[in-house]
Amino acid sequence: MMTRRNLLAAALIAPLLLLVFVSFIVPLGATLYRAVEDAEISTILPKTTALLEQWNGEGVPSEQTYLSLMNELREAQEQQKAGPVLNRLNFEETGLRSMLLQGLRASGQFSGSYKQNLIALNPRWGDPHFWGLVKRSTGPWTPLYFLRSVDLKLGPNGAVVPTADEEAVFIKLFIRTFEISLVVTLICAVLAYPMAYTLSILPQAWTNIGIMLVLIPFWTSILVRTTAWFIILQREGPINALLLSLHLVEQPVTMIFTRFAVYLAMVHVLLPFAILPLYSVMKGIKPDYMRAAASLGAPGWRRFLRIYLPLSMPGVASGALMVFMLSVGFYITPALVGGSGDQMISYFIAFFTNTSVNWGIAAALAALLMGMTGILVAIAWLLVPGFRSGGVRV
Amino acid sequence: MSDPIVVFDSITKSYDGINTVLHGLDLTIERGEFVTLLGPSGSGKTTTLMILAGFEDPSGGTISLDGRLLNHVPAHQRGIGVVFQNYALFPHMSVAGNLSFPLEMQGIGRAERDQRIKAALDMVKLGPLGERRPSELSGGQQQRVALARALVFQPKLVLMDEPLGALDKQLREHMQIEIKHIHEQLGVTLVYVTHDQSEALTMSDRVAVFNHGRIQQLASPATIYEEPANAFVASFIGENNRLVGTIATRDATYCRMALEDGTQIEARLTGDLAIGSKAVLSLRPERVMVGDSGPNANTFNARIEELIYFGDHTKLRLSLGGSSGFMARTSFKDGLRDLQRGASIPVSWSRDCGRVLPFMEQE
Amino acid sequence: MGTASIPLSRQRPSTGRLLLYAVTGVLLVFLVAPIAVVFPLSLSAGELLVLPTPGYSWRWYADFFNSQRWLLATYNSFVVGILTTLIATTLGTLAAIGLYLGRFRGKALILALLSLPMVTPVIVTAIALYFSLSAVGLGSTLTGLVLAHTVLSVPYVLLTVLASLQAFDPNLLRAAASLGANPVQSFYRVVLPLITPAVATGALFAFATSFDELIVALFIASPDQFTLPRQMYAGIREFLSPTIAAAAVLIILLSVFLLMINEAIRKHAIRHILPPTDRMP
Ligand SMILES: Nc1ncnc2c1ncn2[C@@H]1O[C@H](COP(=O)(O)OP(=O)(O)OP(=O)(O)O)[C@@H](O)[C@H]1O
Ligand SMILES: [Mg+2]
Repeated sequence: MMTRRNLLAAALIAPLLLLVFVSFIVPLGATLYRAVEDAEISTILPKTTALLEQWNGEGVPSEQTYLSLMNELREAQEQQKAGPVLNRLNFEETGLRSMLLQGLRASGQFSGSYKQNLIALNPRWGDPHFWGLVKRSTGPWTPLYFLRSVDLKLGPNGAVVPTADEEAVFIKLFIRTFEISLVVTLICAVLAYPMAYTLSILPQAWTNIGIMLVLIPFWTSILVRTTAWFIILQREGPINALLLSLHLVEQPVTMIFTRFAVYLAMVHVLLPFAILPLYSVMKGIKPDYMRAAASLGAPGWRRFLRIYLPLSMPGVASGALMVFMLSVGFYITPALVGGSGDQMISYFIAFFTNTSVNWGIAAALAALLMGMTGILVAIAWLLVPGFRSGGVRV
Repeated sequence: MSDPIVVFDSITKSYDGINTVLHGLDLTIERGEFVTLLGPSGSGKTTTLMILAGFEDPSGGTISLDGRLLNHVPAHQRGIGVVFQNYALFPHMSVAGNLSFPLEMQGIGRAERDQRIKAALDMVKLGPLGERRPSELSGGQQQRVALARALVFQPKLVLMDEPLGALDKQLREHMQIEIKHIHEQLGVTLVYVTHDQSEALTMSDRVAVFNHGRIQQLASPATIYEEPANAFVASFIGENNRLVGTIATRDATYCRMALEDGTQIEARLTGDLAIGSKAVLSLRPERVMVGDSGPNANTFNARIEELIYFGDHTKLRLSLGGSSGFMARTSFKDGLRDLQRGASIPVSWSRDCGRVLPFMEQE
Repeated sequence: MGTASIPLSRQRPSTGRLLLYAVTGVLLVFLVAPIAVVFPLSLSAGELLVLPTPGYSWRWYADFFNSQRWLLATYNSFVVGILTTLIATTLGTLAAIGLYLGRFRGKALILALLSLPMVTPVIVTAIALYFSLSAVGLGSTLTGLVLAHTVLSVPYVLLTVLASLQAFDPNLLRAAASLGANPVQSFYRVVLPLITPAVATGALFAFATSFDELIVALFIASPDQFTLPRQMYAGIREFLSPTIAAAAVLIILLSVFLLMINEAIRKHAIRHILPPTDRMP
């Protein structure tokens, strides 16, 4: 009886579980694994990898190693597969790409020892440190991407050191992401509170209209709303036209591609997510509590502070957590209306995936972003009653 | 009368394997009988009903219905009508749809269905409301629909779990009478759960008093009220003065019980109590007369501590036998209207009205 | 605010309350105005997205409906949206019923796994699917897009249906059994009709999610698979023509339409199925 019920349950769950597993969990795992995986050198330059395995790190490796590196690299280049290797080594230390390419170009004319020729070409070829880097890149795992995504790297002797200032962009990126999310969350909470409150006390007919006006943007696609802001905030857009025609400004004001535009559009997109949970919590606060507090002699503001605020706090918490969680992962809105200094983590994940191909960094950033979101979800799960049952859309 | 329809034989139940909710329940219900399960909250009434209906499995023991062992018969094959406390009307079906449901399950044809639905609705006086949704009915009307639904497929046995709990007092009393009439009309066997003792006493043929998963007494309402089997039943049913003392003398039927201050009271003996053993005297306030009531009566002088006015009667809180919480009830038929607080008055009761029961460490 | 919440008597609204109304009104305007502004812009007779418009015309709608690219994107959006809705609704509902019925350990874990796509930042999902779909040859296909959108939208169906199952009075099933219905009959006659509104709401969410989805499409759709949001994004990046405003208006109208259906379902459910409890709007 019990087992038959569970068998049925399992049969009902299985198809979805399989789908989610195959088309989400596994891809996600594989992607996050890229953050520590270090396979480019060992798969594309297998012989060199094997030779370096034998090198003990003292002095420079054998002539055979030089030869094999050049040959395998040339072969890879002919098959258009050298890119990942060059990227990987250049990521280890900027400048290695050009050094390798220079060696490769020159190697056509080499006669005699590759080792001597290469060292003559660029003394770094004789630097054990260089070979140490190559050996370190043969995998199978590397902490490098995670280190880099928090502005650290491995020093020559394997110690963790800060990256050079001009490369130290990621901590700033995290701080910026956090800052933007926090500001947006605060603005949303502050705006949503009186709105939700008003909606919860208005006569039903007015409440229905108000809620409708909140639900319409809620159901309208984020891109459409961002596009609207993109149009509105243009130099020649409606706002500037209005300001100019009212002679409030002489010159069109630059609003698009600024942090202001990012805040404006993000608050617009996320405000409903803060209003709706607050509204439903406030709707459930019986006026009797406040009447009781009044009868017990509490003046208005104390009633608010001691009774209403604590009772409405779960709504604030769930709304704010939701807004913050969504903000942290925002991509489209800052990408469209923000400037280059207003982009958040998601933008850089996309950037490292598509534009400046460095999947390791993209994966490490993705893992950190997921971690941040995970912590938020855990907080929400533990602290906010009703979070477990509620979806994002209501 | 011995035509048992339901037999519980040493039924035990534990939901979690640790706490036992029913301890070896034996209960035989006669065909056509109206049996009420009465008891305090958590005493196992609902559990008993759920096991009978087949929604819960007993942990041990057997139940049979009409001689057929029920243990492994799924609920939908038992043919037992159930009225739930919250009615459990299907919200997406009309009233007629709800009534039609069990008939469709039995594969009864359209024409007969319609006719039986109409008859059932007429029986509960809801004739014209067949097309309404349950959400469009008042609580009392929903209750009637639930009743009609449990009866429309002509089950041999109908179970009701506090069916009137959600109704106001007036409606509840009205429905009690209607349910009673329907029971008499249809001759169906009814097992009824309530924790309202007056409901139990007015409606039932027999009452089973539950406490802590055990039946304390199973008897007719009059017996339960007049001859409680133990101190729990005595104190649970009706109002009750309890005086604790020891047995001074006894014969086969009566005894004299000595209270702590030496007062001796003569009363009927229930159970086998040796001289010198601790006992409880149970006495209903309405049996206490103000004044003297002749031979075979206990007569005492008591001080009036408090007068509580109820309209049709007045309650007196008296100091008597070392206790200041002794209650008496008077309806002034005796003309004693000018009772004063603090006055000393004679009170008396027949020795047949008081019952001496074994003392139980409880409550 | 505290004072305002005690309507002890019907007085003239206090200053505080009037201020509150004013703030709320302004904010509501803030919420809808940007959406509303797109309407006149899309009807502009001019080439530029400016207000006031130099005149009104349908030319940008004509442009939309005459453009191969916009029509293809519309077609793709509907194909992907409908397929996503069908798959997500079916699988999500079945799984919700399974999770409701099952009495085994690890249910919470399974539920967490199945809802993971909802809380994962979309960019992470997008790159994960980008890598793996290209690895199995489903990059730049509508199939890949449907898979991705299904994964993204299925948690909404699952959670909505599961919530409605859990809100379900178990006495209804007992009642059905006592009236002679076997488990299969109970399911079809009692459970299914009662969860239908939730299933429908879940399906609407699924469709809306797919129809609005841009980030995954950015990664795995090439021009042949462009959906409406993807085409719009491309348009914004290239040249901001009023055709984009026209497209935006069409999408807004569809969203409002979906919202209206959802409200109708909710009203129906409240009136006919649920007791008037605390369902959110
Ligand atoms: N599903 C359940 N799981 C675990 N324990 C239960 C369950 N149902 C009831 N119990 C426990 O079994 C005991 C008896 O409960 P039952 O519902 O039978 O009492 P009852 O007499 O009907 O009380 P009431 O008058 O409050 O309805 C209680 O202690 C209760 O806590
Ligand atoms: Mg009960």
